[in-house]
Amino acid sequence: MAVSLERRTGAVAFFYWLWDGVDRTIFTAIKFSFPARFVSPFGFLGMLTFVIFIILGVTGALLMFYYQPILDRAWDSVQFINDEVPFGFHIRNIHYHGSNAMVLMAVLHMYYQYFSGRYKIRNEVLWMTGVILGVVTILEAFTGYDVIFSERAELAISIAASLTTSIPVAGPLLRDAMLGSGFSDFVLRFYAQHVFLLPIVMLGLMAVHFPRFLVFDVPMVMAIGGAILITGGVFPIDMGFKFEPTVPPGVTVPEWYLTGIYAFMRTQYDKFVTGLLWPLLFIISILLIPFIDRYKKFSWRDRPLVTAFGITSLAQIMVTTYWGFYISPDISIPLVERLVIDPIFFYSTMILLVPLGFGFTYMMIKLANEAERKSKLAKSTGPKKVATISLSEKWINWLLVALLAFQVFLNIAAYNAALTGMKNISLFFIGIILLVFAAFFHVYRYSISQEKNAPPPAPAPVQEEKPRLAEPEVSPESNKLPEEDASKVKPELKELSPEIPAKTQADLGVGADNNPNIGSGDLNKP
Amino acid sequence: MSELGTKKSSRLSRRDFLKLMGAAGTGLAFAPFVPFGNFMPNPNQASLEKVPVILPDGTQANINTYPINHAEVITYPATGDAALDAEAFRKWQFIRLPEELGGDKKDTSAIRGYSMICLHLWCLWKYWPDEGRKRGECPCHGSMYDPVTGTAFVGPASVQAAPSDTLPELYFEIASDGFVFILPPKFNANENGVIGYGRFA
Repeated sequence: MAVSLERRTGAVAFFYWLWDGVDRTIFTAIKFSFPARFVSPFGFLGMLTFVIFIILGVTGALLMFYYQPILDRAWDSVQFINDEVPFGFHIRNIHYHGSNAMVLMAVLHMYYQYFSGRYKIRNEVLWMTGVILGVVTILEAFTGYDVIFSERAELAISIAASLTTSIPVAGPLLRDAMLGSGFSDFVLRFYAQHVFLLPIVMLGLMAVHFPRFLVFDVPMVMAIGGAILITGGVFPIDMGFKFEPTVPPGVTVPEWYLTGIYAFMRTQYDKFVTGLLWPLLFIISILLIPFIDRYKKFSWRDRPLVTAFGITSLAQIMVTTYWGFYISPDISIPLVERLVIDPIFFYSTMILLVPLGFGFTYMMIKLANEAERKSKLAKSTGPKKVATISLSEKWINWLLVALLAFQVFLNIAAYNAALTGMKNISLFFIGIILLVFAAFFHVYRYSISQEKNAPPPAPAPVQEEKPRLAEPEVSPESNKLPEEDASKVKPELKELSPEIPAKTQADLGVGADNNPNIGSGDLNKP
Repeated sequence: MSELGTKKSSRLSRRDFLKLMGAAGTGLAFAPFVPFGNFMPNPNQASLEKVPVILPDGTQANINTYPINHAEVITYPATGDAALDAEAFRKWQFIRLPEELGGDKKDTSAIRGYSMICLHLWCLWKYWPDEGRKRGECPCHGSMYDPVTGTAFVGPASVQAAPSDTLPELYFEIASDGFVFILPPKFNANENGVIGYGRFA
């Protein structure tokens, strides 16, 4: 029985029909592209953030089957998920590390867009919804690690509630309305906000935030998924200790995306100012940057002040994040002295980072310009070839087979590890499987594109002699080309031309990735 | 100014009138939902009234029998639901001050009621009547509270900016027969304080 993958029959035909039908929906405005070559992931970090959001939605929904948002049961139900429910450990770890990955991706996405100046050219609304989306993402992650109601969660809840209460005028009312009036209220309401209210807000913002061009790069999505699982396998998240109001808790710090604010709060100055006003000022200035940045150019090198502001903010985020984590391990010092950060030292450092940030930016711009000058010189003096890995068709086939075999082995290993109770090993192996699939898919699309790029038939040997007056000899193949093969060749050429104009989405500012194959999606093949 | 212009400004055009009516109608249609905002705060904490001070043994506290330099845990507002009443936010230390701080008097100046939630990280502190202590101490990070004012004087809670250095307080009333009642509190920072947050002393 001969099976042809060329002809569209059965399910394949159905899926193409469905894909065409999407033209009649709202998604017609969104253009997906499935890159046929490697493209730098910087351009589609936002898409990766969204993919992680979906992963979190699925795993979160599964966790809801067992989690109980009740004061004296919350921690125990999570422990039940972690220890008793089959693959509960996996789901919980994917959910936890996925949340960290999502915050990280969102921050990286923001800074990449910031330095490449893409909030310009009428993208202001996109930028502002993105910043708000980022803030809601952090709130979502924050409410998530609170509902476990461990000691650390209780610390976080107490800070959240105190901060809300400290808002002038509306604070106490707001706290009672949003968070409730006691521990049982807090757990239940943080849960309601975590699983419904905030995700709905995020979806609404996403509807506005989605740009018209989206890159869905399968290998990179798989690699991110694999990275999350591997992190879960290597650093499985613990349960913490159940909160008991009479038991002294250990010294804990918040999650990494909040230690920056925590460092400010540890100066023990007014809660509202340190915990809400400073972060709010930062968010608002980031929010308004499209209206402050009046440079006509995009590249970070041509916008020194804006770049310096970004570098300074990054430096301050890094320093405060570390400082918030750091608690002197010397237990002979009284706890208060270990916890409280000297405000004068702290704020002087913050101010000192401003000239440092500006100086660093100045240096980077100088270096980048110098590097560009040198590369131009080098270009004019000699040929410069980009190193490539070229594999023959045979070796590509063998590579694919080998990767498949490796996946089979890893599947067995992962399942065996899960059966024998080595949960984190199993999680680690599954992460590796996803990474291997990423590599597999990349080799696959490379081979497909190699097939498309098959070299044209060898040209006729050039005549050594001077052209004679008589008609030159031409091989029959090249003679045939313009007439009979025209219909065959033309769509091929068309496909190689970029669907996305090279400077719109995926590789603006990346420079090295001006790849004509971007966007030649498999699904668009006639 | 033409006559037409003055005429226009003095009389509302039909179109503007309709718009005004439309706006009023829309406003009125959604106005009844504004009080729905009261759905948000938990009513358990809202219906506060004058209630007797019920000690853990089930009896009402009496100033004539309650020992000097002594503290008990009281639940306020009590709901009768065991799970809800176990809530740390409903736990208060009912303290009769030691003699040297005026605890031998038979009026409300001899007693104090402070929220048991430590203002630092919400552990449950308690009053220690031992000689040399006679203060509220938190087991978690060692914050200590002055039993007379409810203000922290040592530990992490003491370095927090006001109002987060002073415990929320309940005020009492003593009947002629000596029985103690809790006066309806107002949980905001300027009056009885906000539980887990503090009070302006």
